[in-house]
Amino acid sequence: MAAALGACSWLLAHGATAQADAKPARIVSLDLCADQLLIELVERGRIAAVTHLAADPEVSAIWEKGKGIPITRGNAEDVLRYKPDLILAGPFGVAQTVSLLRRLQANVVVVPLASDLEGVRTAVRIVATAVGEKARGEAMIDAFDRRLASIAVAAQASAPSAVVYQVGGAVSVAGNLADVVLAAAGFRNKAAEYRLTRGGQVPLELLAASPPDLIVLTSMADEYRTVVGDNLRHPVLGRLRQQRASIDVPWRLWQCGTPHIAAAIARLAEARAGIEAQRR
Amino acid sequence: MTTAPMRTGVTPLLLVGGLAVAALAAFAASLAIGSSGFGLSGAGDAAGLIFWEIRVPRAVLGALVGAALGLSGAALQGYLRNPLAEPGLVGISGGAALGAVLAIHLGLSQAFALALPLGGLIGAAIAMLAVVALAGAHGGPVTLILAGLAVSGIATALTWLALNLSRNPFASVEIVFWLMGSLADRSLTQVWLAAPPILAGLAVLLFLGRALDALTLGEDAARSLGIDVARTRLALVAGTALAVGAATSVTGAIGFVGLLVPHVLRPFVGHRPSLLLPASALAGAIFLLVADIGLRLASPWTDLRIGVLTALIGAPFFVWLVLKTRAELAP
Repeated sequence: MAAALGACSWLLAHGATAQADAKPARIVSLDLCADQLLIELVERGRIAAVTHLAADPEVSAIWEKGKGIPITRGNAEDVLRYKPDLILAGPFGVAQTVSLLRRLQANVVVVPLASDLEGVRTAVRIVATAVGEKARGEAMIDAFDRRLASIAVAAQASAPSAVVYQVGGAVSVAGNLADVVLAAAGFRNKAAEYRLTRGGQVPLELLAASPPDLIVLTSMADEYRTVVGDNLRHPVLGRLRQQRASIDVPWRLWQCGTPHIAAAIARLAEARAGIEAQRR
Repeated sequence: MTTAPMRTGVTPLLLVGGLAVAALAAFAASLAIGSSGFGLSGAGDAAGLIFWEIRVPRAVLGALVGAALGLSGAALQGYLRNPLAEPGLVGISGGAALGAVLAIHLGLSQAFALALPLGGLIGAAIAMLAVVALAGAHGGPVTLILAGLAVSGIATALTWLALNLSRNPFASVEIVFWLMGSLADRSLTQVWLAAPPILAGLAVLLFLGRALDALTLGEDAARSLGIDVARTRLALVAGTALAVGAATSVTGAIGFVGLLVPHVLRPFVGHRPSLLLPASALAGAIFLLVADIGLRLASPWTDLRIGVLTALIGAPFFVWLVLKTRAELAP
């Protein structure tokens, strides 16, 4: 308690009144996507703590760089322990923590979730501005745009179709970043043509009855020891993958709207080129 | 306990025969109906694949799991002479789910596939022994339910704990599966794993008919008729653990089937377990198959769980049973 109060008064004295031109030097991130941008934009010494997901190879595109950084459990008391001068948060799930931290005069920046390619640029700019590294942010965006430009996507009258088929039969739909990634790689998202359950799943029977040109899996079935992932081990999916084109694009590349989704787009564009070569 | 069978004019042979025909019809209907529509016209060139790898496993599991639940409910009610006994209510399904979850998350089911039904079986057996020990040999209906509630609570808590410790991003979805059950997108893999132990359990329980008939007269009378009561108990525990344990390990816990089915049939067969047992197995299969068909027909896109449907039908019935039991126990 005393420690928490100490941290509060410290924040009152320093956090809120920090000079505008001074770069934050004890940054804490509460969000996987902000973690990744932070780690790539700021030198390690200024990062106080990130989430445990930053070093998780399943969901973090830069998990190797995330290793060894202190981990915050994400509750207000634990965050204040690091005496942060900047806190990056995501838009979901931490509203309580954010409002509490703000009441304690902490400097919190909420990084919006990117739902399209422009959203990626916006997220980079917001983080870069907050951490005082605008130039590095613009350089990151330039590199992203050059990479996107190099993945030539010819406008197609009859684009091949694809489905991002996940654990439990869930598929990515319009409004998901994955849907944007499919479009950027020149695919039509076939999820829009199925009647999905309320939970956004496609029954395996429907997938088998009218399969897409490309089946995209985001994780190997064996990574998840769970009955929910049994659909990925189903013999019917195995058979579909033999009959149709199929590709694994690890979730870590496109879970978050960071410039790393360009790598996911590149892999998918390659698969599309293969499908179109076969058609000819 | 001495009520004579209702004079319905239904002979035992006719009853069991009729149920068998109805079960076959329900099985055929389950094969004919799927997410891609009635029949296989909407299935395109994947028709064979869809039929053999998606619909057959679903129908076979529906029939086997329904039979396992119906039969074990009837056997438990007969042996315990307790109208409220049911694998779900007395914690056996919960124990089976815990065993299966542990088998999966400790990596045992990856090392050898049979660990999954085996885990369910061991979990079911432990839960059942715990409930019988807690409730005591001569405990009344209420004691049994309380013991079942305690065992169920412990099993559920440990299941959640195991799932939360597993560093599994889908823990919450998985908890729903184990609590509510599901026949969706099951494959022949699960059929091969679960069918042999379920069939073995069904056989063991069906052979208990004569012993349970004798036990309706009380244990002493049963002994004088040459029934080995200890062996009967052992067979009951083994049969229920095999059937319910294996069933739960591939479809999750589906409640109230074992409660509802024997009670609906009892007016037709009276208190003759030897007849009630096969009838309950068949009716259990019919009930679960029809419920699963209803799920696909009425609301194919809502992702409703089969356990929710069986509870919606079975729980009001349970309320009625409680009221009836209370009236019987009243001084």
